Amino acid sequence: MKRTLAISTILLAGPLLAEDTRQLDAHEHGVGELNIAIDGTTLAMELHAPGADIVGFEYKAKSEEDRKAIDSGVATLARPLELFVFPAAAECNVTQASAALESEDDHHDHDHGHDHEHHDEHAEHEEHAEETTHSEFHAEYNLNCSDPSAISEITFAYFEAFPNARELEIQIASASGAQSFEVTREQPTLDLRGMF
Amino acid sequence: MLILRLAIASLFARALTVGMTTLAIALSVALFLGVEKIRTGAKASFADTISGTDLIVGARSGSVQLLLYSVFRIGNATNNVTWESYQDIAARPDVEWIVPISLGDSHRQFRVMGTSVAFFDHYKYRQGRDLAVAEGAIMSDLFDAVIGADVAKTLNYSINDPIIVAHGIASFKEHDDQPFRISGILEKTGTPVDRTVIVSMEAIEAIHVDWQGGGRIPGQSTPVEQIRQMDLTPKAVTAALVGVESPLQTFSLQRAINNYPEEPLLAVLPGVALQELWAIVGVAETALLAVSGMVVVTALIGMMATMFSALNERRREMAIFRAMGARPNMILSMLVLEAALTATFGALLGLSLLYLGLVIAQPIIDSAYGLWLPIEFPSTRELAVFLGVVVAGAIVSLVPALRAYRLSLADGMLPKT
Repeated sequence: MKRTLAISTILLAGPLLAEDTRQLDAHEHGVGELNIAIDGTTLAMELHAPGADIVGFEYKAKSEEDRKAIDSGVATLARPLELFVFPAAAECNVTQASAALESEDDHHDHDHGHDHEHHDEHAEHEEHAEETTHSEFHAEYNLNCSDPSAISEITFAYFEAFPNARELEIQIASASGAQSFEVTREQPTLDLRGMF
Repeated sequence: MLILRLAIASLFARALTVGMTTLAIALSVALFLGVEKIRTGAKASFADTISGTDLIVGARSGSVQLLLYSVFRIGNATNNVTWESYQDIAARPDVEWIVPISLGDSHRQFRVMGTSVAFFDHYKYRQGRDLAVAEGAIMSDLFDAVIGADVAKTLNYSINDPIIVAHGIASFKEHDDQPFRISGILEKTGTPVDRTVIVSMEAIEAIHVDWQGGGRIPGQSTPVEQIRQMDLTPKAVTAALVGVESPLQTFSLQRAINNYPEEPLLAVLPGVALQELWAIVGVAETALLAVSGMVVVTALIGMMATMFSALNERRREMAIFRAMGARPNMILSMLVLEAALTATFGALLGLSLLYLGLVIAQPIIDSAYGLWLPIEFPSTRELAVFLGVVVAGAIVSLVPALRAYRLSLADGMLPKT
């Protein structure tokens, strides 16, 4: 499978400099990002995954089927312990979980729906939005683990749930510093011995 | 047991050749483990350069580049961070502490770094060790400088010596109208701090009062007393070290800084950036390991060659064994055992050579390169190498041993025609 490196045209605009600030986020199909932060018994995780990985498409939902796929993707993402399996000894419980789909269009609507009219290129761009758009699923989880030192590994059932996902880039921040890892479909286990 | 006794006796009978083979294996094993030791030592000391810092903030470039110029003082910043942005970040509730770093001036071959006194509280190395002052104290006056251990040693400086800071790096223009005084010398850390002259942020501003666009404004020299009265709030910093209130906020703070709309900034996790950098540097280290691995293979092939040539000399010996009732596979196992013993002696000798070398070289390497090689019980990896050499020795010897096995069925018993 050929890697498609694409750049999303998400415009993140601050409230004051909406016209002057242009930023592009990197977007790679097949590769998601997972950040894990640990403090005491609290574990915070955030997942960013391309729409292509979760539902297989990134255009705006056209049919009933598309909408169903997105709903079921969000529902699956909202159950973190089924996607990321922690050792039973760690006794991890979900205290908060949320997942949502964010597309390019959503960004426009949420962040600066008011400045639609004064960008001519924008208007043009949005006409082609169906072909060029990229969407991302974002999920945030808060976990409480009675014994974080027992987290010797994390198994990623994520890859079974989402057949289009190939890789997750993982960053872990704890009191002892930060480290990055990579898990792939072929090696869906993250060895964390001696980390906490 | 009989085979073992015979094998040992046979090795002693050919002490010289066996000794040479053992020595070759010993040297190759010592080299291989030595390289491995330096590799792990270098990796550890590399990772120990900075700890306790959650984020490094600088102008937007690459994470490796930011790490290189802010921590290793290699290369230069693409841009500075304005003082306003710095203050904005410092004011965020999730920031526990923030330390500014200002680079760009030099003293002889050493970099000058402007920072705040908080640097000495928050910069940590080797898993949380604090910087310690060996002599004197950290700066208390505007024109005080604290120097690293290597600076003091190389330039032979002591407390209260005057020190002149040059403008830019490797420049001849010196800020000679405002000499600094060395107020403290730091203890050796094995980090780039050893090769740094540390002054306050205000001091960096002060030495640039009469300078504009790389040159001194002609005829202008503000007296030191007047500079002391001036507002020396920095206009920019090169980078900043940030500590967060809780690790849980690390990623949200990083994202906030990376998406900071007023200025393109970059925040990196030092541990992750170090890993990225090591992935680049690590290629050379793998090459070194491969070369020393080849040396071990060469030594083992050398052993095989000597065994082959010994087979000829030992035709009579084998024939006598056979005549005494030894079975061909006893000949085979004796030869393999001899080889395994040679390899074991070689590996043992290599290990002792390694530790002897470490005892001698450890303080030298530490002071010369700031690389601390721990002397400890061989790691499982080293033991695996040890075992691997012995097993490989035995396997390699199978080739000549099988030949002996075949020949010994008849060879040497019959008169040659």
